[in-house]
Amino acid sequence: MRLTIYIVRRLLFALLLMSGVSLIIFFLVNAVGDPIELMMAETPGVSAQTIERMKAYYGLDQDALTRYLIWLGKLLHLDFGTSIVYNQPVGSLIATWGWQTFKIQVPAILIALVIAIFVGTTAARRQHSRTDFSVMSGALLGQSLPAFFLGILLILIFSYTFDILPSYGAYSTRGYLWGSVIADGLWHMVLPVAMLTFFNTATLTLLMRSNMVDVLKLDFISAARASGIPERRVVYRHALRVAFIPVLTYLGLLVGLMLGTAPVTESVFTWPGLGYLYVTAIHQLDYPIIMGASMVIATMLIVATTLTDIAYVLIDPRIRLE
Amino acid sequence: MSDSRSVNAAVPFAETAVIARHKPKGIWRQGCERFLHSRTGMLGLALVALIVAVAILGPFIAPFDPQDQSAMLDPGAKAPPSWIHPLGTDRMAYDVASRVIYGAPTALIVGLGAMSIAAFLGIVVGGIAGYRGGLADEIIMRATDFFLVIPVFVVILAVVRLLSGMVVNTPLESIPYLNLGTIIVLIGIFGWAPIARMTRAEFLRLKNQEFIEAARCIGATTGDILFRHILPNALPSLIVMVALGIGGAILSEAMIGFLGFGDPKAVSWGQLLFFNYESLKVAPWASLAPGAAIFVTVLGFNLLADGLSDAFNPRSGK
Amino acid sequence: MHQANLSPPIPDSLPTTPSPLTSPGLRGAPPSADERAQANDVIPVSDATETLVHVDNLRIHFPSRRSPTRIVEGISYSVARGETLGIVGESGSGKTLSSLAILRLLPRPAQIAGGRIVFEGEDLAGKSDEDMRRLRGKRIAMVFQNPGFSLHPLMTIGAQLSEILAVHENLARKDAHARIEELLQLVGISDPGTRIRQYPHELSGGMKQRVCIARALLCNPSLVLADEPTTSLDVTIQAQILELFEELKARFRMSMIFVTHDMGVVARIADRIAVMYAGQICETADAETIFSNPQHPYTRALLGSTPRVDQRSTRASGFRLPTIGGSGPTILHQGDGCRFAARCPEAAPECTRLAPLPLTVRPGHSVQCLKRGSIGGANHA
Repeated sequence: MRLTIYIVRRLLFALLLMSGVSLIIFFLVNAVGDPIELMMAETPGVSAQTIERMKAYYGLDQDALTRYLIWLGKLLHLDFGTSIVYNQPVGSLIATWGWQTFKIQVPAILIALVIAIFVGTTAARRQHSRTDFSVMSGALLGQSLPAFFLGILLILIFSYTFDILPSYGAYSTRGYLWGSVIADGLWHMVLPVAMLTFFNTATLTLLMRSNMVDVLKLDFISAARASGIPERRVVYRHALRVAFIPVLTYLGLLVGLMLGTAPVTESVFTWPGLGYLYVTAIHQLDYPIIMGASMVIATMLIVATTLTDIAYVLIDPRIRLE
Repeated sequence: MSDSRSVNAAVPFAETAVIARHKPKGIWRQGCERFLHSRTGMLGLALVALIVAVAILGPFIAPFDPQDQSAMLDPGAKAPPSWIHPLGTDRMAYDVASRVIYGAPTALIVGLGAMSIAAFLGIVVGGIAGYRGGLADEIIMRATDFFLVIPVFVVILAVVRLLSGMVVNTPLESIPYLNLGTIIVLIGIFGWAPIARMTRAEFLRLKNQEFIEAARCIGATTGDILFRHILPNALPSLIVMVALGIGGAILSEAMIGFLGFGDPKAVSWGQLLFFNYESLKVAPWASLAPGAAIFVTVLGFNLLADGLSDAFNPRSGK
Repeated sequence: MHQANLSPPIPDSLPTTPSPLTSPGLRGAPPSADERAQANDVIPVSDATETLVHVDNLRIHFPSRRSPTRIVEGISYSVARGETLGIVGESGSGKTLSSLAILRLLPRPAQIAGGRIVFEGEDLAGKSDEDMRRLRGKRIAMVFQNPGFSLHPLMTIGAQLSEILAVHENLARKDAHARIEELLQLVGISDPGTRIRQYPHELSGGMKQRVCIARALLCNPSLVLADEPTTSLDVTIQAQILELFEELKARFRMSMIFVTHDMGVVARIADRIAVMYAGQICETADAETIFSNPQHPYTRALLGSTPRVDQRSTRASGFRLPTIGGSGPTILHQGDGCRFAARCPEAAPECTRLAPLPLTVRPGHSVQCLKRGSIGGANHA
């Protein structure tokens, strides 16, 4: 019962957050001045009449609050408006480009998680050994290497020097690899996913190792060994279960970090994802996209953190009796 | 375990005196000593010191002026490294090494500036939340949750762009480094949340400890308690967060610059990447150099933070 | 702590429910006297009096390139079947490590540096890691100090205990549950069916320790190692758990090594007592003798410094409780000779040079003290 109450509270709070974010986004974007005026200020030679027509079209002739409510209402129907630059519904743009982001970020997290669990645990079991030391140093280095710089390095090595992986876009412009869309897509995914996985793996490995080191010193682990339970089982069933919990909560943050820096990471590869869409929209002051995309990104972040919070409570029975 | 003022006459008096003479060192002394022995910490400190040195000595060690494009004719733009241009020239015939060197003070100013703002806000807000508790705490916690969840980078990009759009054709445009200043302020403002969280946690932890109660008993004022007792004890963890934050702030600015939203009048590593990325294939050195500079700087601060963390929160056998 | 959940008082005699494992033919006909006697064997009762475990000159150290830190310096003791040996000592005396050494579960970086451990006639040094693993929990079991931390926080009691049964004895789920419930009942936990599905944090401290004891007894071990099992409990619960140990001891003639720092506890539970200081055994004797005729200066000082209700402070003692002078043993002082010499009221110059070897003053009573006649030897024997 307490559990359901907590979940409901958490969901309500998430909704509250989302509304708050929508408010902030809207007023930030609109508070700096009339969007159309701003846009037109950088494009000379537009007549006042056109400006008025555009304003009316985009509903900018009403006051801020009304506009906000209209926008919010449309949002709830998943109508993000129309892009000024592309002249397409923003919703479908977000869906198409968003899928590309999803394509590279999900594998990045999953692969990183698997590697981190295995490497982190192994390093923890051999604490103070040379393996441990190299894992820790490698992870510390990897954490400090900016993702986009790694991307540049990867491109330099694999695209420009060895020419075995593509450096641009999600699909080849002239003919798919081996004639297959799937193969071509995967081939283009390799470097971006590698770039994203690298940082995730480094951070998660450090975290996993640190937790494991602490957990392996706890009494119930010695007690399990003293009861004759095989070492593999002690580590991977008893210790891992406990050590993994903080990692789980961190996953939410990690997803947030990946999404948040998507504009940069995707720009390196000119990867047609949500981040890249956002960056170009900002350059061109395409407001519907700016507002819609940031709303979507923020929502995904809120969802990710809410899910990890709920998962945390579900997994640890000790927390339920709060 | 034992009472040195023992009944047992066998204990030589000298031993008691020896015990009394060795006063235990304070946490700062201990921490400093531990830090000096930490390899990661010392390496981090060395790297940071290197960057600071480059930033300060910049004008004296840079071979060229950062705006000097005289290399256009000889050896030309996008020229590979040579004796005259140790890191080559970039797409617009600037000397890469000089630009990278002049990028150091920018990076440091961004990092320190942004973190000062973030630290100030975070400590004040977190301190109030932790010490006062109650309704203020609740509200502040919700606010921190909010700020931790919104995609900070995404929002900063939008605001920077919009603000620069706003100042076009206005007198504000002539303020030097306005863009850079805005970036610094924004990173700072959006960076307060993790620090506030940590401060609050520390204050909560410390406020209920017995030595605070004791201080109150002897009549210490609230100000006394806050600044002489609680804050110094919370400082180690906060310093670690600030060190990490400086690295993060430098990285954020680099990313903003890389996307093209940086201050065109400032020399920043992110911007160097932005200018030279399109000629990556033919002049990789022009992109590698600033990228490596960013890496080394962030690495330095991260290692420093790691060393400090080990020094002040030693985990036996970590 | 949940003061409201005091564990149920232990009945005068433990319930003698027939076990489905040991008395298969119990359905239908009421149990005969023989069968009932058989059914008493929830845990088989041992009668032999041979030596169960013999520790000979055990040395434990932290290895190091320059000079290893010696923690336990050549201790020897034995435990006979059905006997409880109490090992008493201060914190840092190495008593816990010596028990862990029997299981070969020394925490890194500690290592066994020498000596022999013979269990049930076999030298444990010859056993592979896999053999040792099979021994643990099955033939030798351990009860740890802090029950709150020695149970897995995220697994139910039933899951943890049945895992052990699954590892050592291939029991079907139903049989495993039956045995677990039986044992929980045995250690005084009411309503075992519910407890099995609960998590450790839902139990009180006393109950958790009972569960740990049940866990140790799951596979009928020959030897139970108890490492300060009552130290972290409230005093009232301590008494209950000790009573439980006494009952189990009496009923099943359990062989136990009971480690503690509390003289009162060891007086109650131990048949024989070994007194340890700083990694050396000072004196070994049966409980009676240790208390009535202690020989080693440390034992005497220890007994002397235990406050007694009927003790009166006198002008001669300065109206103070007697203490042992100096400070506790640290592993930094790796000197030769007797480790207690620095604090010993009877210390002589040779005490710091020669390590006393065990001297049998009377059958079953050995002392290690130059002043009591021991021959001196080098520490690194």
